[in-house]
Amino acid sequence: MPGTTIVVTSGKGGVGKTTTVANLGTALAMRGRSVVMVDADIGLRNLDVVMGLENRIVYNLVDIIEGRCRTEQAMIRDRKLNSLFLIPAAQTREKDAVHPDQMKELCEKLQQDFDYVLVDCPAGIERGFRNAVAGAQKAIVVTTPEVSAIRDADRVIGLLEAELMKDIQLIINRLNHKMVKRGDMMSTEDICSLLAIPLVGVIPESEEVVVSTNRGIPLVHEKRSSVAGAFRRIAARLEGEQVPIPADNAEEGGILSRFKRLIWSS
Amino acid sequence: MNLERGVAPVQIRAQRDGQFLFLIDSSMPFQMILRYLEKKHKSSKGFFVSAKIILDLGNRPFRFEEVKALRDMLRHNWGASVVELRLGQHLDSFFDWASKQIDIPIRQIPVGENLMEPVVVRQTCRSGVRVEAPMDCIILGDVNPGAEVIAGRDIIVFGVLRGIAHAGAMGNRDAKIWALSIEPNQIRIADLVAVPPQEDRHKPKKYEVAQIKEGRIQVLTF
Ligand SMILES: Nc1ncnc2c1ncn2[C@@H]1O[C@H](COP(=O)(O)OP(=O)(O)OP(=O)(O)O)[C@@H](O)[C@H]1O
Ligand SMILES: [Mg+2]
Repeated sequence: MPGTTIVVTSGKGGVGKTTTVANLGTALAMRGRSVVMVDADIGLRNLDVVMGLENRIVYNLVDIIEGRCRTEQAMIRDRKLNSLFLIPAAQTREKDAVHPDQMKELCEKLQQDFDYVLVDCPAGIERGFRNAVAGAQKAIVVTTPEVSAIRDADRVIGLLEAELMKDIQLIINRLNHKMVKRGDMMSTEDICSLLAIPLVGVIPESEEVVVSTNRGIPLVHEKRSSVAGAFRRIAARLEGEQVPIPADNAEEGGILSRFKRLIWSS
Repeated sequence: MNLERGVAPVQIRAQRDGQFLFLIDSSMPFQMILRYLEKKHKSSKGFFVSAKIILDLGNRPFRFEEVKALRDMLRHNWGASVVELRLGQHLDSFFDWASKQIDIPIRQIPVGENLMEPVVVRQTCRSGVRVEAPMDCIILGDVNPGAEVIAGRDIIVFGVLRGIAHAGAMGNRDAKIWALSIEPNQIRIADLVAVPPQEDRHKPKKYEVAQIKEGRIQVLTF
């Protein structure tokens, strides 16, 4: 059975797409799945840095598409996980070096060999976005609880719906429980009622993310991190497990915390 | 009186083909229009002699006496000829007059009736979407921030209105905005703009309506 291509997108930049691809890819591989992450952010590649694979790059996505190398030659194996691979973006090329049809063809090919193809989408809604989305059957839209990020997420969801993408799910990143409690931040419930797509997970705001990015080791490897737990649960939900998403006012991590309201993803 | 435009009772525009378009104000008393044209004639110093003039009544009802008086005045005093009479949307008055002339009731065959039908959008309007409707607009979903709905008459949202809605966009002050909930955002009716207050609103049990009352937009909660 062929695998699934999932594009991780957002509209607004810097909300955590690359962080999500790196951690979700790692979490899925830790569950024993074969995963290839494709960095479609041509000209601004950084998934390789987050994965700590920067110095192993020989070929990249544009090399595959322009036929300078075979697909396998551009795939870099993860340092820790045998079933996790990365196809890096070209740093020195423009986004229109790739055509949506070519991306679609590549994703279809990768799906034959991998359980998951995760595409890291560039910010914006132009050519780079259309490339990243072209081969995907499923989209994960990442937003932060900021009004501007949510509005861009809404825009992107509209564009995905227009492309007849049926399976669109939401990740809320950088939620600050204290701020929500104080009423200084939009709550998960508010965001979900506005965007009206199924929520697949909420990632708390944490300094650990920055540290792990700098070290080039995805946080999911860190057993006790709350961010790691959140990504592992998202991986489980993607695989069809019913794992409840704790409400904003529940203490993240506390096993016996009072789950007042549970929001289930469909 | 049309203070909005703050312009002359008759607007005169030169056309490309050398003709002149006389746009007659829709609500001004006819005497004022005649007086204005007399003044205009004096100050124009024979400029309009043998000019070809198009009379455009816009939304002014058709009155045979008015049109005849204008024609005669332009012909005899100005030395100009009226080459065309344009009637706006409201043709009822013209048909009334014509019916009397031939002593048979006239009924217009509705052309472009679909123009009057509401525009129905069967999904949530997300950020970046703009919907325009010549008359009523019905949204079966929410209107999110960053989306815009513009309608000639009423806007009906079977969902939460969070984006911009402009009802009566052509100036109809009787237009209304209906929604299950109108969240603080900008709403417009005809030429008025309002922002519902952020605080102290009780959630509507059924729906909310924005309409113009006493020259201001009011939101009623049911
Ligand atoms: N949950 C989090 N808590 C704290 N910092 C975070 C979190 N998620 C992401 N960040 C930080 O935010 C920054 C942007 O993250 P990331 O690069 O993943 O975003 P992006 O959406 O891929 O950006 P771009 O649009 O530029 O590709 C990074 O510095 C990252 O460390
Ligand atoms: Mg990125």
